[in-house]
Amino acid sequence: MACRSPVARRLSPIAHVSVALFISVLAIAACGLIYELVASALASYLLGDSVLQFSTVIGTYLFAMGVGSWLSRYLARGLVARFIGIELLVGIIGGFSSTLLFLAFAYTTAFRLVLYALVVMIGILVGLEIPLLMRILRDRFGFREVVSNVLTFDYLGALAASLAFPILLVPKLGLVRSAMLFGIVNAAIALWSTFLFANLLGARRSMRAACAGVLATLVIGMTQAKRITTIAEDNIYSDEVIFSRDTRYQHIVLTAWKDDLRLFLNSHLQFSSRDEYRYHEALVHPGLAALPGARRVLVLGGGDGLAVREILKYPNVESVTLVDLDPEMTRLFASHPLLTKLNGGSLTSPRVHLVNADAFVWLDGNTDVFDFAVVDFPDPNNYAVGKLYTAAFYRALERHVSRGGFFVVQSTSPLFARQSFWSIVETLKRAGLTTYPYHVYVPSFGEWGFTLAAAPEAPHYSPPAILPAPLRYLSAPEVAQMFTFPRDMQPVAVEPNRLNDQVLVRYYEKEFDAINR
Amino acid sequence: MAINRREFIAGLIGAPALVRLTRKAPPQIAGGFVDDGMKAGHALRDGTGAPTPRERQRVAVAIVGGGISGLSAAWELDRRGLHDFVVLELAADAGGNARSGANEVSAYPWAAHYIPVPGPRATLVRELFEELGVLRDGDWEERYLCFSPQERLFMHGEWHAGLEPEFAMSLGDREQFRRFGELVASHRASGEFTIPSALGMVRASPLDRISMQAWLRQHGFTSPRLLWYAEYACRDDYGASLSQTSAWAGIHYFASREVDEQGPLTWPEGNGWITKRLLAKLGHHVETSAPVLRARHEGGRWRLTTPTTVYDADAIIWAVPAFVAPYVVDELRGERHQTSFVYSPWLTANLTLDRWPAEHGIEPAWDNVIYDSPGLGYVVATHQSLRTFQDRTVWTYYHSFAELTPEQARRELLTRDWAYWRDRILDDLARAHPDIRDCVSRIDVLRLGHAMIRPTVGFLTATERAQPRKLSRFFRAHSDQSGLSLFEEAQYHGVMAAREAMAVVGGRLSVAGSR
Repeated sequence: MACRSPVARRLSPIAHVSVALFISVLAIAACGLIYELVASALASYLLGDSVLQFSTVIGTYLFAMGVGSWLSRYLARGLVARFIGIELLVGIIGGFSSTLLFLAFAYTTAFRLVLYALVVMIGILVGLEIPLLMRILRDRFGFREVVSNVLTFDYLGALAASLAFPILLVPKLGLVRSAMLFGIVNAAIALWSTFLFANLLGARRSMRAACAGVLATLVIGMTQAKRITTIAEDNIYSDEVIFSRDTRYQHIVLTAWKDDLRLFLNSHLQFSSRDEYRYHEALVHPGLAALPGARRVLVLGGGDGLAVREILKYPNVESVTLVDLDPEMTRLFASHPLLTKLNGGSLTSPRVHLVNADAFVWLDGNTDVFDFAVVDFPDPNNYAVGKLYTAAFYRALERHVSRGGFFVVQSTSPLFARQSFWSIVETLKRAGLTTYPYHVYVPSFGEWGFTLAAAPEAPHYSPPAILPAPLRYLSAPEVAQMFTFPRDMQPVAVEPNRLNDQVLVRYYEKEFDAINR
Repeated sequence: MAINRREFIAGLIGAPALVRLTRKAPPQIAGGFVDDGMKAGHALRDGTGAPTPRERQRVAVAIVGGGISGLSAAWELDRRGLHDFVVLELAADAGGNARSGANEVSAYPWAAHYIPVPGPRATLVRELFEELGVLRDGDWEERYLCFSPQERLFMHGEWHAGLEPEFAMSLGDREQFRRFGELVASHRASGEFTIPSALGMVRASPLDRISMQAWLRQHGFTSPRLLWYAEYACRDDYGASLSQTSAWAGIHYFASREVDEQGPLTWPEGNGWITKRLLAKLGHHVETSAPVLRARHEGGRWRLTTPTTVYDADAIIWAVPAFVAPYVVDELRGERHQTSFVYSPWLTANLTLDRWPAEHGIEPAWDNVIYDSPGLGYVVATHQSLRTFQDRTVWTYYHSFAELTPEQARRELLTRDWAYWRDRILDDLARAHPDIRDCVSRIDVLRLGHAMIRPTVGFLTATERAQPRKLSRFFRAHSDQSGLSLFEEAQYHGVMAAREAMAVVGGRLSVAGSR
């Protein structure tokens, strides 16, 4: 090889140094591809339409790389220092790209602008890397060799990154930490370069200090990733999060904005304090007010104590048994001042007995009988909860309802989930019960449905003429009207839900997919 | 499902926090081999351990073997009013392939774990299930039918619903599945493929003369997915590969089942639930750890020797596999090593999981199969629980040794230690659940050297099946007579043997209950 510069003579190309150099090419290429994939994946998750997102992000990114390559001609002197500077910039911008994108989505309306700005910036910087590196290495090796080796390792790195991303990085680290990890790789290469090209570098010490600073920032970022996700979560719930806890059973989040208190279980809205009275009055009173002699009432689910609050308005009710799976849920709603204000301290009433148990197993394991029962479970969005909406469950429940009594089931929306609603009604019929479906409008939920069910030998249900006081929504004429269904909510032909064939979960999934685009 | 994108992200960015970056030493996994009766069985074979029985007992019928065929024979005798019988079981627990275990998490099966919803011709099964409250007024009790989701298949890095490898199927694959379905339907319509099989068998089927592999080839089936599916069925029901299974048996698997089956029927402890219910009623007739070491015909009666007792019986119901008989029954000693019956070895394991492993695709099902795995997958024992929330679970892992000869497989079972099977099982499961090792706290392994009869080519016409050696007052009840190791077959043959036995000892009915 012809030595063209004094540099090369001083360094003399040793095999392992060149291997190390090409491995850093590989790492740089991998980093570049990871940022591109992180941006594409994030855009797909947040905006949907993955084909569009991947296509536009990759296109923009490649174009920006072209811009970078073109710009590289204007960098003439101090190539090594420039290269290190670029590495550090890529490391810090790329490393925090997914964090920035999450925060942009949570806090701004300009997510797309931030996305493409970041993609362009990273693309330009990555586009600068390889031409610069080639020019630095040109002084060491023959041109033919440099082009061949650099491009080979560049493409190898791309392959490694594209395989590692879906298989290892996303499942093990997630998007936030994956990007940071590769930011660290970029910064580490910068630091390493200060030693590798020490002879070509002027301000070595300050360069190294900058590298150390960037590395430290990224490492701290990695360790604080959990906090970042929490900040992002605050915004996934649009209001301020005042309580958040992962219990053994679920993720409980309470948010507050002015006087609106909202409960989310596993990110599903359970109630908004602004209109929950509509839901809970409609859940309890059409049934319970029609049973003036009711003394014992059972509530399954409903650990928020709001249905119990309505039940306690009946002086004739002597005891309420509340069965809820999660002790943290009932503890929270029995003690948090904002929540006890909302449920009127219902869970600490001497008339109320709390049981923390899995409802189906609890029903199977005792013989208590109740005059009225309220079934207030989360919507049947998976096979586990779906077990609580089966004919077998309703048969087990019926054994706990006294002669002449009935029970009411929250039955999801007859408008958005029409098949699901009527499948629940069909399931109750399949269990041999007489059904009286009705519905109410709850602004934060939309049209919502309930079903009263009674044993076939029970007297025919008729809506109550007298309701307890005080109520905010229901009146006797209102109750009577709830049992008529307008055209777009009328019965459809559906199958009952059974333990061995949970059609309800499939109806529900299909119907909510259709509106949750 | 109503997961919105925000919720998805919350999970996506939250989940990594749970995954430790650096791996600690893998947690200790407890466990070992469970008692498989191998020692007692081999002592029988080798004639070791001279018995010194001290007691003598007189019974009308001695049932040898406390598996489903033996217990079904007992059930039949009992409900027909003959109570003077004893069931002699070699192992410490009755049940045979319908044995089960339990720990603090769940009850779990050791072998057979379900029964397809019986068709109209399986009258005996229906009668038993009416007695046990599984069938009421023509309706199957919902909580005994397998809950949703029932089956899933791991393929291309993801779990898919159902066992047919439908994911990304080519047009050719689809066409072959359709044609296969049509052929099966025509065989089903012929009425020859029934459960119990004896009811449909009017003549020896020509399909008994070729292997399932040859039959599939003859009909031009080449789709790797269809072949996998057909072989999975043979491995799962017969412990045999396509080439080791007769076409009759291979087709029987598909053609004997109802098209719109709503089942199967299953319980956390699998068919052990039926064993428990039968034992609750008949357990006082059952002697466990009571291997029959010798049986001989003397003076018109059978004399059976167990380690503690000599029984004088008017009749024997033979409810253990046929290959054992020449080692025990004096009159059959000449037939050792002559048998053409082949028995498939199996390995089952129960894994206790302290948490559910990570995975992709649909929710855990009852039966979970990994495509192209040497194992048969796993069944979730807690699937039939009525709970909505379960943080711990028990999985029953099944492995039949279709890739080896039965002799090779038995040698493997005898020589390999527990740690070997632990690693093999975990390696297999890790394909679908990369973090399985961090979830499992215990693995108990059961080795079954002769788990089930194998319906090999020519099985139906083999002389020892078609014309078994007739002995006086000796009635064969084991399911190996049918070539299909199914609950329904075991029950059918058990009940039929009981009826034959009652016909000859009928005279003793007057002293029923004298025992």
